[in-house]
Amino acid sequence: MLKLAMRLLRQRPGASVATLVALAGGVMILMSLAVFVQSGLQYKPEPQQFAAADVVVAHRQITVSTKEFDGEVTTSEVPLPEGTVPAGLADQIRTVPGVTDVQAVNVQDGRAGAITIKAPGSAYAAIDKLARDAGVESYAGDERGWAEASSSIEARSLLITAGSAFGGYVVMLIVFVVAGTVGLSVRHRRRDLALLRAIAATPAQVRRLVVAEAAVVSLASAVIGVPAGLWATRWVHDQLVSRGFLPDGFPIVNPGLAALVAVALTTLVAVLAARIAARRVARIRPAEALGEIAVEPAKGGRVRLASGLIMLAGAVVSLFFAAALGGTAALAAAVGMLYLFVLAVALLAPWINGFAARLLAPVLRTVWGVSGDLASANLRVNARGMSAVLSALVLSVGFGGSVWFLQDNLQRQTVAQSREGMLADRVVTAPGGLPAATVAKVRQIPGVEAATGIRNTSVVVRVFGGAEPAVARAADPAQLRSTMDVKVREGSLAGLTDGTIAVSALQASTSSWKVGDTADLWLADGTPVKPRVVAIYDRGLGFGDVLLPQTGGTYDEVLVRTQGGADQQLAAFGTVTTTDELTGRLSRDLAVTAWLNKLLIAVMVGYAALAAGNTMVMAALARGRELALLRLAGVTRRQVRRMVNAEQVGLLGTSLTVGALIAGATLIAVVHALTGTFLPYIPPLGWVIVLGGTAALALATTILPVSRLLRVPPVRAAGTKE
Amino acid sequence: MNDMLAVRVEGLTRTYPTDGQPVTALAGVDAAFARGTFTAVMGPSGSGKSTLLQTAAGLDRPSSGQVWVGDTELSQLSETKLTELRRDRIGFVFQSFNLIGALTVEENILLPARLAGEKPDWHWLGSVIERVGLTNSLTRRPAQLSGGQQQRVAIARALAVRPDVVFADEPTGALDTETAAEVLGLLRSMVDEFGQTVVMVTHDPVAASYADRVLVLADGRIVRDLPQLGAEKIAEVLATRRKG
Repeated sequence: MLKLAMRLLRQRPGASVATLVALAGGVMILMSLAVFVQSGLQYKPEPQQFAAADVVVAHRQITVSTKEFDGEVTTSEVPLPEGTVPAGLADQIRTVPGVTDVQAVNVQDGRAGAITIKAPGSAYAAIDKLARDAGVESYAGDERGWAEASSSIEARSLLITAGSAFGGYVVMLIVFVVAGTVGLSVRHRRRDLALLRAIAATPAQVRRLVVAEAAVVSLASAVIGVPAGLWATRWVHDQLVSRGFLPDGFPIVNPGLAALVAVALTTLVAVLAARIAARRVARIRPAEALGEIAVEPAKGGRVRLASGLIMLAGAVVSLFFAAALGGTAALAAAVGMLYLFVLAVALLAPWINGFAARLLAPVLRTVWGVSGDLASANLRVNARGMSAVLSALVLSVGFGGSVWFLQDNLQRQTVAQSREGMLADRVVTAPGGLPAATVAKVRQIPGVEAATGIRNTSVVVRVFGGAEPAVARAADPAQLRSTMDVKVREGSLAGLTDGTIAVSALQASTSSWKVGDTADLWLADGTPVKPRVVAIYDRGLGFGDVLLPQTGGTYDEVLVRTQGGADQQLAAFGTVTTTDELTGRLSRDLAVTAWLNKLLIAVMVGYAALAAGNTMVMAALARGRELALLRLAGVTRRQVRRMVNAEQVGLLGTSLTVGALIAGATLIAVVHALTGTFLPYIPPLGWVIVLGGTAALALATTILPVSRLLRVPPVRAAGTKE
Repeated sequence: MNDMLAVRVEGLTRTYPTDGQPVTALAGVDAAFARGTFTAVMGPSGSGKSTLLQTAAGLDRPSSGQVWVGDTELSQLSETKLTELRRDRIGFVFQSFNLIGALTVEENILLPARLAGEKPDWHWLGSVIERVGLTNSLTRRPAQLSGGQQQRVAIARALAVRPDVVFADEPTGALDTETAAEVLGLLRSMVDEFGQTVVMVTHDPVAASYADRVLVLADGRIVRDLPQLGAEKIAEVLATRRKG
């Protein structure tokens, strides 16, 4: 059977190449993604700073317990980059028998960055108990590396977060594309398979044959996909390092396991898809098969229709949730909606295509005349065959349009908020920070109207199912309202004193806090606090989600509002820059952060477009006979071309419209949740890329191959076998 | 069961469900095909002649009625058993697209035996291949052959397993007159020289004149069962039928 499968594959290089490309692309993407996720999961930081200690006591994570609806308590651990331990703990540890040396590191205001201990193994348990009682952790042996704050630990969580956020979608996309391409390549060969059934092959043999073919192509795709995956991994790694996402020395695992998983998964999907497609072909009676070859069944099964409608209903429900909920819950609903819509379209594609063909028939007739009529007839008949194109394009436009443009919207809004809200015109920074006394001195400088010390920090807030860090700023409240306008919506910053906070509207709706409520959060050093909310403001993207009062200690920067001419005196305290430069830097930083998201989106959209193109080339090249018959029937070459153009306009127009609707709904929901505006921003270049890309796809994958087919004299083409 | 009969059908009906009224292709057909005979099935388009061939050959299942190939009744067989029966005991020649393009002439001929996992009978195959005149074309691909040669390959494949019966559906429909005559002569000689049974659907009186017997169908029933009369007479009978 395998030998026969190989022979049949060789006869259909077009379809085999298309499947091969889809599979190899899948292997490449999955493999590189898996390498990075695995590297993140397996990363173990080497103790460096604390290498000489036996045990390190530090506070690097907080454990948050949440009560679920069913009463079950779940705990989640949230990393704490700035956590500290009480310095007094060192004295307690000294009393543990066997401990020889205890050092508190970076002590400030009674808190230590860490405590290093030299002690025999017998003392570890006692030390750990002391640490736990104080609400912090102890790290011994290999674990000591976790106690050190390092960029590698941050990189590790980035790899895991990005990997888990996108991994599922990438797998879903690859499953769709591979299954679609394999299914289509089987359907294109109904004639061969029907003949086999008629003369000699049992249904089981046809199934085995098709599955054997899929397995052969899958293994061949590994030969291309794995080296491509190695190359892609190296390229992405270099990019991540040069953009500062990943420290140069971050250990990347051997790609062997990732390659194996990627190949196994794509092979499994291809084989299963082939089995399902083969079942359809093998089940029909040979006589039906011989008759049915030319016109394939126009619609999918009832199960497909039902699941599609369920997905669609789910998407509509999510739309209401996205509109009704606030904060990050609305974001989650919007993202869920995006995926449900895309899934629904993929399942309902045959019906959508058929419906669009009927709807567009008058338009195509008006514009293209007879050719338009032929085009709408073809669109109707090929509704099922072209469903892979519709799903892939809707996925590209829907995903690309929402997630890619969302990055632009976020960047734009953040920069706009920060520019509009910044009332200061100078920023003073100094290595090691600026003490509170400096702020007082700055205020004395002639020409200075106001000065505010700012420390950039983070807090940990509860979200449903756990906790997560939020961007926070600790600011000197005295002249705050003169240096920045965070656009207070409710309450007043006048009340921002010890034991209070101000929060952004997004944060307030995520945590359901109102002015006067008591918030429940942890400071960056791990201290739990319960401040009162005194104000809710709009410009959270530009100024952080939480604003804390800080009257003493050290600031990272001092915002200064001047009447000009104070620069020279300000320079005595540190480096002076204009706030415009600050916003410029913010915009560049955001572009770097957005790069990773955009890379992941570009990979997904590119792969989906490749799948669409694949399908279209396969379909176009299979039309030689049909087009020749049309020409023999008296349709001129020009009319055939016009017909093909009209078909493309119909198919791609439908895909773009559905994709744009989905992208628009998602984008509006997300942008509204984040910024409160209903009008998302779409860069002009974005339109050009979406429309131009689609046109280029149509040209390259259908119009050019069809032109080539039209060069063959029709009499000869009509005689060739399909 | 009569040993002299290769195929027998009884009370055969076949209706196709459509959106409106179901279409009746066969409305109760009884027929028997004796071993070593060549029967032509004729009739106007839509008379049910192809449906008769397909149901008798186990390619399609009748709505009611029974089909015997030798002493096996087909209606109770599973799809797999039915395939095995077709593979071992029935040969097919269709109008076109008979061959798998990826395989050579020899591989196409051996395909049923190969799928059955059986060793080909080389002695028999040798004489069939020689008789159809393909001895020098065994390594070629179907695309390199003329239409007539392709039908010869199909005939050789149909005969390769020494079937009880060969069914041919318009085997000369896509061929010119001269090539058609060669192919029909070949089918005739299979009956005369090898004692094969052939049932052929055709609308061409000249093609039917190669047969021993002509069945004429109209509206899903057998309306004439004639011995061989010659092409002109057949054409005449068909013409009267059409007028009536």
